[in-house]
Amino acid sequence: MADEFDRFLKSALAPPERMPDRKFVARVQAGVGLEERLAAQKSALVGDLLKQLLALAAVAAGLWFIGRAEPVASWFTQSPAAGLAILLVGFGSLVALLGQRPLRGGALSKLNAS
Amino acid sequence: MHRSNDEDLALSKRAARGDSAAFAMLVEKHERPLRSFLARSFGSDAADDIAQDAFLKAWRAAGQYDGRARYSTWLTRIAWRCRLDALRKRRSDEVAEAPAEGSVGLAAEVDDMLARLSNTERVSLVLCEGHGWTHAEAAELLSLPLGTLKSTVARAKAKCREMWEEASNG
Repeated sequence: MADEFDRFLKSALAPPERMPDRKFVARVQAGVGLEERLAAQKSALVGDLLKQLLALAAVAAGLWFIGRAEPVASWFTQSPAAGLAILLVGFGSLVALLGQRPLRGGALSKLNAS
Repeated sequence: MHRSNDEDLALSKRAARGDSAAFAMLVEKHERPLRSFLARSFGSDAADDIAQDAFLKAWRAAGQYDGRARYSTWLTRIAWRCRLDALRKRRSDEVAEAPAEGSVGLAAEVDDMLARLSNTERVSLVLCEGHGWTHAEAAELLSLPLGTLKSTVARAKAKCREMWEEASNG
């Protein structure tokens, strides 16, 4: 009786004998593909962001260097508000110029397209 | 190390390098026992979602599989954690879910037996009696002392035997 029950229990609880479920495998593969695409887009976004931060730092350093030059520095002393406004406008224009280019052809547009 | 483990380790290493075809072979090989275990333990409705989640996590963590445990054991641990996470999100830790209804014959008889066991009893019994897990492997998965796991399996088996004998005697 005990042997018969053990056999029953083992056979009843064992995984069923069947071929692999192709639909399920395809479902998992689709999930893997999606993860891969998202990971690629994420790393592209991070790369774009780093490039933009680097460009901004370069622009800021350039403006700071120009601001230290003798003629500019004296002009700043005479009219600091106008000087600051011009610097900000220049900085903003360069930021817009440098910041837009990678985003158009880069990760954000790919992300939007998918 | 078992030959199957070597194969699984090699496939997992390829998967870790981004080879999705190698990972598909692992999914083909292990989806049947994993989904069967999950369906028996938590019901077939939840089983496929947990299994898919577990396979995706196994893909992400492919590089972490070192071949010391069987791949199926490692994968089941991941699925178990997925299940616990899902339960935590739903805040219903102690809900014992009966396996899916609608099965007939032997399957219905077994489902009925399993539904009368506690969650821990059911999972321990399915792993140790149906899937060939050692008591130590199941104890580790369930975070139970080995002695407790052994007595849980014995208790679950005794309950099932009682139900089976009742059914056999009419």
